[in-house]
This record gives sequence, C-alpha cells and structure tokens, in this order.
Amino acid sequence: MIVAGCDVGALTAKAAVMKDDTLLGYELIRSRAQSVQSATQVMTLLLDKLGLSFDDIDYCVGTGYGRAMVPFADDNVSEISCHGRGANWLVPTIKTIIDVGGQDSKAIYVDAKGFVKDFRMSTKCAAGTGRALELMAESLGVKIDEVGPLSLSASEPVIFQQPCCIFTEIEVRHEVFNGRDSADIAAGINDYIARRILNMARNLGIRKDVGMTGGIAKNIGVIKCVEQALGIDLVVFPEDPQLIGAIGAAVFAADKARKLAQ
Amino acid sequence: MNSLKGSRNLIYAGCDLGIISAKAAIIDNSNVLAFEVLPYKGHPRQAASQVMDRALAKAGLYLEQIAYCVATGFGKKAVPYADELVGDLICHHRAIREINNNVRTVIDVGGQSFAAFNIDNNGLVSETAVTDKCAAGTGRFIEIMADVLEIPVEEMGSLSLVSADPAAITSQCVILAESEVISLINDGYDRFDICAGVAASVSGRIISLVRRVDVNEEVAFIGGVAKNALVVTNLERKLGLKFANLSGIDPQVVGVLGAALVARDERRGSK
Repeated sequence: MIVAGCDVGALTAKAAVMKDDTLLGYELIRSRAQSVQSATQVMTLLLDKLGLSFDDIDYCVGTGYGRAMVPFADDNVSEISCHGRGANWLVPTIKTIIDVGGQDSKAIYVDAKGFVKDFRMSTKCAAGTGRALELMAESLGVKIDEVGPLSLSASEPVIFQQPCCIFTEIEVRHEVFNGRDSADIAAGINDYIARRILNMARNLGIRKDVGMTGGIAKNIGVIKCVEQALGIDLVVFPEDPQLIGAIGAAVFAADKARKLAQ
Repeated sequence: MNSLKGSRNLIYAGCDLGIISAKAAIIDNSNVLAFEVLPYKGHPRQAASQVMDRALAKAGLYLEQIAYCVATGFGKKAVPYADELVGDLICHHRAIREINNNVRTVIDVGGQSFAAFNIDNNGLVSETAVTDKCAAGTGRFIEIMADVLEIPVEEMGSLSLVSADPAAITSQCVILAESEVISLINDGYDRFDICAGVAASVSGRIISLVRRVDVNEEVAFIGGVAKNALVVTNLERKLGLKFANLSGIDPQVVGVLGAALVARDERRGSK
C-alpha cells in the first residue's frame, strides 16, 4: 500500500510518500504562483525520483495553506493536525510542537497518539515566521540557511527591540552599514525570531517533550535561543523538520487507505 | 520683530532622517530657503549628508554657514552635522503652529511614524496617540505593496483614483498583505483596484489611530503618506471633513521644517 502527503505552504511545497509505514522519500520546492502548480510539480518530482507514477498512490492527503488546491488529493487535513501526527510518528513522546512556517507560526499540544488537544496560532502578525527570517537574511546579505551557523560565532549579539519585522529588517540593514559584526547581527536576528515565536508558545503552555517543525527548525541559532529561553533541550527529529507536515499528511493517508481496504 | 533689528541674518537647518527617506530644510530669520527630500535605501548617515548637500546647493550655501542644525526622525542619531536632536512630536507641533494656527488635530503618517495629537486653544499639545509597533498603515506598507505591483510609490495614490472596485486586502501585517496582493495579481485583479485596496487598508489603520485622540477641526494630515491622494480622500470621507490647508507646503517636509524652526528658536531662545 503506497500513500502520499502533499503540504502546500505559503513559501514552499513539500511531498512525502510512504509504503506500509516506511517513508520512501520526500521532496521540497519553492511555492509557485498557484497552489495547483506547486502541488503537481513537487509530487511529480518525488514520484520520478522514486520511479513511481500517480496511479501507484492508493491514497493522498493534502495539507498546508493550499491544501484544498491539491488536484490529486483524495482528502485534505489541516496542517495543525498533520504536524501533530507527523511529529508523533517520528518521536512518539512528543507533547508540544512549535511549527514555524513561511507565513505563520503555531504551537500545538498533542496526545500520545499525535492527535491535537489544543493549539495557538499567529494570525495577525508574521514577525516570528520564515518570511520574516528570509527578509532579515536578505538585509544581512546571507542565504537564509546561513543565518544559523553564522550566529554561532557571535560575541555580542545585537538586540533588536522593534516588535515589527518590517522595521527590524531595516534596523538590520542599518547595523550592517554601521559595520557591526555579521555574526552578532545574525545572532540578534535569531534571538528576535525566537522571542516572537515563544510569545505565542508560552500562551499555550509548554509540556515536554517539545519539538520544532517547519523551515525555521533548521536554523540552529533559533533552536539554541528557544532551548535557552525554555531551559530544556528540544527533540531532534530523525527527518527534515520542514517535511513533518507532509509526513503527517501521509500518515493520515495511510489511516484512510487502511479503512478503505477493510 | 524689533528685537531682531540689527542682528545678522543667520542660517538655520533641520534634518529629518526617516526610515526610508531623508529630508532637509534651510531657513533664515524670516524665510524658507530650501527643502529637499531624498528617498534612500543605503547608508542612513550618507543619506543625511547627501540630502543636506542638495538643499545647501539649492540655497547657494555651505554647511559652515549654518548657525544651528536640529535633527529629528527615526535616524536622528546618525545625522553627523546636527547640533541638537529633537523628538518628532516637538518638530511637528512647531511647524504646524507656524503654518496654520487653527489646526487642532495633527495626523502624522510616514515611513515608520504613525502618530496623532491634539493642540489645545493655547497652542499646547493636549493628547497624543503614537504607535511604532507595527508597519501596517505606514509608508513602508505602501512602499512594499508598490514594489510587488511594480508601480512607483508616488503613483500609488493617483493611479488608484480611477478604481471603481477596490480589491479587499484583509491582512494588516505587511508580510501577510504582501502575499495577499501577490495572490490578487495572480488571480488577474486590475492593478488600479489593488492600489485602491492598499489605500483603503492604510486608511482603515489610520482611522483607528485617529480615533484614539479627539478629532477637532482643523485637522492637518502630514508625513509622506499624506501625499497619497487616495488615502487623503478616503480619510476625508471617513472623517467627514477636509484637511487643513498647509499653505502649499509638502506634507512630507513639515517635520523637517519644524526641526529648522526649533533650531532658530534655540539660537534666539537666549534672548
């Protein structure tokens, strides 16, 4: 039985394919103008890589911002549920998931099976999101995946006080012009992002084990800031944390396929 | 003005270094000699020097001839030639008192600034509402949407005047609204309608700020966003009034005029 999950986010589209509770592979692309294009492109890439075709998939679940626009999906499930299921499938002891996506961030509390018990979500402000990190990385003149490693050599991190990332982005630029060490600026950016995310997560309550998912979880600097602020170690996922929504969608797809087979 | 008789006609200057534009004003004892506005993306310190050089060139003067200079705005600390730093509110208040004494409410919306205040009948500031927490409603919001729409920011207000059906932009956050605008473009919405939607969004934010002070006439609308004609007409309609006459002074340079006037006051203040 082959199942798939497709997570169409605001900035990236992800696909995962599973066979009998084993992950066969996954793929990630930058989102296209239309969700339909993003979904089709990422899944085609993955299936080609695996030597499979769309007909081989018994069941597919769409998730993410564009979940209703996945043309080959049999069903769709919210990304909150998928992150819960995906994280639990990889790390069964997880209780709290902090998912930071391209344009929103969420804190999710799950039960022992990975089903959502409660959550918080940022809906009005995108300060603690991937897009905010991306803008600030641009202002610093580095790639988004360089901000984390760069920050590790900081000696005196910049403290960014403005709540709004649009103004902080310009402050980053001004720090660059002022000749501040780029590692110190990078550490300041990570500290800023972590504070914005934790504002929301603290509102939900933090129950161990805690893991971070989404693209920002690949930033070692943000992870360290969050660990320091919470005084705990975060769970290390055995797979790419940006793919956990797509993996969760595939886990839901497996459930549905099993039910249909009965 | 007898006290000034016999005194030399000194030159005073102001520099308002905002987050996306630098402004300079040069005045003497009785006249405005030059204004200059310079949008910038680069080094704030360089922008401050450049805008003053241009204003000085217009007035046919040299930096050394300035008797006193006041800097204001977000980046005032980076103005290398300033003799004194003064807050935005003081500068705006000072300029408005000079331009139009009947103004009782001032709305200032710039690249980053987002403030409203009242002036009482004695000419003093009575109530203020300021927020610098969020870029929604500011000039930076309009600038980012202009980039996405590939329309010069100065044209955002005029283009939108012809829209019969403004697009709805529901997100306040710049980042979320930016992706909404990208979706609207992808969905084939008319650019003029999107511009009008941007103006409506900005106006909505400004109204919620203004409601935190008393809306007493006359009302002056200043800052770079006051140059967006559609935001102006939107606000006038929502508030049910016409904005005060600023005697032809560019609303974006009111702050810097105030800085120059404060500089003059400081020098004369010892009198």
